[in-house]
Amino acid sequence: MESKLSSDEIQRYSRHLVLPEVGMAGQEKLKAAKVLLIGAGGLGSPLGLYLGAAGVGTLGIMDDDVVDVTNLQRQVAHSTPNVGRPKVDSMRERIEEINPEVKVETYDVRLSRDNAPEIFAKYDIVVDGSDNFETRYLVNDAAFFAGIPLVYGSIFRFEGQISVFDPKRGGPCYRCLYSNPPPAALVPN
Amino acid sequence: MMGTEVIKLIIGIGDTLVGRLLLYDSLRMSFKDVKVRRNPGCELCGDSPTLTELVDYEAFCSVDLPSAEPEQDNVAFEISGPELKKVLDTGRPVTLLDVREPHEWEINRIDRAQLTPLSQFESFIPKLNPEDEIYLYCYKGKRSMTALKKLQDHGFQQLKSLSGGIDGWAEQVEPSMPRY
Repeated sequence: MESKLSSDEIQRYSRHLVLPEVGMAGQEKLKAAKVLLIGAGGLGSPLGLYLGAAGVGTLGIMDDDVVDVTNLQRQVAHSTPNVGRPKVDSMRERIEEINPEVKVETYDVRLSRDNAPEIFAKYDIVVDGSDNFETRYLVNDAAFFAGIPLVYGSIFRFEGQISVFDPKRGGPCYRCLYSNPPPAALVPN
Repeated sequence: MMGTEVIKLIIGIGDTLVGRLLLYDSLRMSFKDVKVRRNPGCELCGDSPTLTELVDYEAFCSVDLPSAEPEQDNVAFEISGPELKKVLDTGRPVTLLDVREPHEWEINRIDRAQLTPLSQFESFIPKLNPEDEIYLYCYKGKRSMTALKKLQDHGFQQLKSLSGGIDGWAEQVEPSMPRY
């Protein structure tokens, strides 16, 4: 029987493969999947590490920021020697250390209406781990136009919210939930 | 949890959070699962959408409260870190108010300051003398300006707010001060 997974991969993912819900078919789907992470910060860090470890075949990471010492207490993909380096580089190296099977594509730029369509077209799913409303609405709209599901999460202090927006499967989008951003004066910086 | 949703979407197993918003409060350690329905009037994914391409998101998100005052009005009431240092160094009797909250005061403070948190500022006003020369600061300079306006409303006149707050002070005047 021919498999799309190498012997090394079968061994690496064996604890997935023994779960009937995942199995070889599921692991092969993970390997074939292309996931784009917006933000390599507090949410993006653990996401990138977990998705990379789990065997998502292609991970895109977009962030135009550099690692700051105040990030380290929560942005666990970054380490002290990487302070001052681009977050996408710091995270790519960490993911490759954990799982060299993953193809990591980095975008050291800010997401914009100009670059979004071309980049989103390369991915099956986008994950929003951004920290501002401009990017959240842009990610929502660009995901809608690209026809791909958006996994959304946001955190403020001790509270968080998560959803999946997938209008193509009949679900709502971020704008169905929040049709307008909060007034700028009320947005915490 | 976001990672699990990604994996479930890829493999096609379980029930995803499509149509649901999960709210998480880590202090109470409570979860709430709220239904979110598709809005037929949604500008983007509704029945007659008006958004057909990406827009200017900065403009979309920069809608301000009607009461927000333009920043340039504030400049006249601001003082820079080095200027404030000069004033304090003269040793003349001035009042220096730190309007941050107690947990911030614990991290750092400027010598001679007294803590008058913005959250309870009204209760401190009767204890202040309108004849005094009063300087206010916070973390970045926004809250101190709010407090300054409250004092103006009570007839105080000799008021200045530290521009850039204690964070700017630490950078420009007192580099040994811890920053947060």
